Amino acid sequence: MSGAVRSELLKFFTTRLWWGMAIGVFLSGAAFSLLFGILLTSEGVDAGAGMGGMPTGDAVQVANSVYTGGLAVGYLLMLTIGVIQIGSEYRHSTISGTFLAGPRRVRTMLAKVLALLVIGTGYGLLSLIGSVAVGAITLNLRGADAFPSTEVVRTLALSLLVLGLWALIGLGVGILIPNQVAALLIGVGVAWIVEPLLGLAMSAWDFGREHIAPYLPSEATNAVVNAVQNSPDSVRLSWWGGALALIAWAAALSGVGIWRTVHRDVT
Amino acid sequence: MTVGARLEISGLTKRFGGFVAVDSLSFVVEPGRITGFLGPNGAGKTTTLRMALGLVRPTSGTVTIDGQAYAELADPLGSVGAALEATNFHPGRSGRDHLRVMAAAGGIGDRRVDELLELTGIPAFARTRAGNYSMGMRQRLALATALLGDPGVLILDEPANGLDPEGIRWLRGFLRHLSADQGKTILVSSHLLQEVAQTVDDVVIIANGALVREGPMADLGGAPTALVRTRDPAALAEALAAAGVTATVGLDGELTVASTDLTLIGDTALSAGLPVWELRTQRADIEELFLSLTEGNRNTGATERTVA
Repeated sequence: MSGAVRSELLKFFTTRLWWGMAIGVFLSGAAFSLLFGILLTSEGVDAGAGMGGMPTGDAVQVANSVYTGGLAVGYLLMLTIGVIQIGSEYRHSTISGTFLAGPRRVRTMLAKVLALLVIGTGYGLLSLIGSVAVGAITLNLRGADAFPSTEVVRTLALSLLVLGLWALIGLGVGILIPNQVAALLIGVGVAWIVEPLLGLAMSAWDFGREHIAPYLPSEATNAVVNAVQNSPDSVRLSWWGGALALIAWAAALSGVGIWRTVHRDVT
Repeated sequence: MTVGARLEISGLTKRFGGFVAVDSLSFVVEPGRITGFLGPNGAGKTTTLRMALGLVRPTSGTVTIDGQAYAELADPLGSVGAALEATNFHPGRSGRDHLRVMAAAGGIGDRRVDELLELTGIPAFARTRAGNYSMGMRQRLALATALLGDPGVLILDEPANGLDPEGIRWLRGFLRHLSADQGKTILVSSHLLQEVAQTVDDVVIIANGALVREGPMADLGGAPTALVRTRDPAALAEALAAAGVTATVGLDGELTVASTDLTLIGDTALSAGLPVWELRTQRADIEELFLSLTEGNRNTGATERTVA
């Protein structure tokens, strides 16, 4: 099993994808925390007092948002990594070799899951180095509290989990949509465009707003890291509720994907 | 060095919807011999090999390696080495890294990787991205991958495809060494008989997914015969019959003798007072035979089936 995980990690680090992604994750972490650090400490964003159209949040939420500002880009990059880790195997038919070395397919796929969690966590750390360094300086310069509560540390730790889980969502998407390019476009499109639109559409429908929208993966992600809210009347899960919802998404998508991979002929 | 195991295919069938790709195929591949697995493109060779390796699920039938299915092998890379297609590489990964990825999965060290790069003659290209490899380099890399775990059984799908004549010669010698000196079991598929005719000991020929011929390569064309031209073929046939050798007169007046003893034939002609205009041994044209075997439909194939 450890050999299979090592093999999966080698697969990732022996193509040029990894360092391009590393630069992207680090820069997005740094850039968004700078942007959010400036925006969220501007006039009109006082503790809890929502002005029209401005995001609302207390000091903790502001700090959380600043440090996890790059997360929205970060989790899309993880989604991409997850899709590519399996998609490229089918695209270049290296999946044959993978299953020749590990014919017990469930184990081989679990090795992929573990490797993606490791990769997600590693990139999460990289993202945090960028965002915390830049974000703390920005908040200090703007006269805001850089570390208002230990809850911020929890958020930072959870953002690592979030990235790992999004890589698993990508793994599932990458298997269920066999065309790698289509999988990437659909995955990113759903997470960034369809889901917010769906959330918006459901805001007019009480049941959907309260019982569906909070459980969608992007919204669950926001709940986990307890970021500022865009709209004061949107319903949000508690951090652990969001974490459970996201784990459920990752488990469901990667689980169904793995089931298909295990039973499908490799031709 | 791992000595080969028996590869046994029995009653193997694969249906894709209504299409029968492999049709109750049974044969055995013996250790220490090179077996050619032949048939035209689309005959079901690759599907058979993929079923042997647990990649494709058979509709019915089994494939065992030393009595075990591939998926049950404790050390798959150390038991069976496979080179399926020379295109199964990530174009952005170097040849060496491709081997390292596979080696890690099989718990094999990087030293073995460098050893194989050396053995298959690709050290100069080891750090070049595989996308830039020529077909010949890909074949060598595929072979190196198959040999990573020093397996006793090698399954190679069209390994000579895309090799230049020098590469084919190298491959021939290399496979000979692995089978004769190391006792490995080697199964090599090809759609060209002449490509492997000089390499293989045994042949298994399939057409439309069914077995049409199986046995030692030497027996493929039947026993060699002698051809004689003389003034009176019927008289010589009679004289040869008296000497206990059957001979048949052909359309052009040539005599086909069921013997390769040219001395006996010449002496018989002399004592019969017949001039010998031509006398030589001849073999059936195996390429022609291969074509006639594989061109026929499945039913013809089944009746021609011979088991050696």
